[in-house]
Amino acid sequence: MSMSRNPEEPVYNRIEEARVALGLSRQDLADKVGVHYQTIGYLEREEYSPSLVLALRIAKSLNQVVSELFSLTPFKKGK
Amino acid sequence: MLKKNKIYWLEGVTEKGVKSLLNDENSRFSWLRRQRNRRVLVLFMAMGIIVTALGSYYTGLKQELRLDGSAEIVWLTVAVLFILFAVLVGYSLLRIAVRGLADAPTELLDERQVRVRDTSYRYAYQISGYLLITLLLLYFFGPEISLFSDTANDGSYLLIATLFAYASLPSMVIAWRERDI
Repeated sequence: MSMSRNPEEPVYNRIEEARVALGLSRQDLADKVGVHYQTIGYLEREEYSPSLVLALRIAKSLNQVVSELFSLTPFKKGK
Repeated sequence: MLKKNKIYWLEGVTEKGVKSLLNDENSRFSWLRRQRNRRVLVLFMAMGIIVTALGSYYTGLKQELRLDGSAEIVWLTVAVLFILFAVLVGYSLLRIAVRGLADAPTELLDERQVRVRDTSYRYAYQISGYLLITLLLLYFFGPEISLFSDTANDGSYLLIATLFAYASLPSMVIAWRERDI
């Protein structure tokens, strides 16, 4: 019986970049999408992969499409 | 109009109570939510539970150590104070430290929090299995024990410790594992 964490395929995102561009705090975004503000922190640090529903809600709140905000490969810097 | 405070009977919590713990940012207990402090609290609780369990072997231990009257009172006072702090106060502090996540109903949590809560129960279940094996080994191979006995080792402390461990384990797992609460 192991206590190690199950390694998941990481989901890269640009939530922080899009959030800051809109002048929103983590709490503001959390309120908009209906999660705890620390969940936004976990997402931005790519320590938690969101469900499709949450990804869609975040994308909508940040006026983006999901594919611009989330990726299975790292985003190139400055793009 | 005042909003009704929903009671979750199965979890033993109220909607307002859960929301207040989940969104509590400026409480005087905020320092407890740092991972290092949470881990110290978990260790204290684990020690408290072990000391409570050892209470079951006190009668035999007393004879082994040949404690006289005054030494026995000192030992008992220290043990009772430690148990009260580590188990009873510790349990309340632990709930605050993990924002009551382990007892919160699904509809008041977001998807990450639900995953954290559910994972903690899985680990708690596994650890409970080890505890059960330990209890069985103690019962079959440890010192003789009976329930509610004044003259022999009293197994009721072991029972109380097991119940406390059972109730606290999910919160202890969350407190130990999670980086941010």
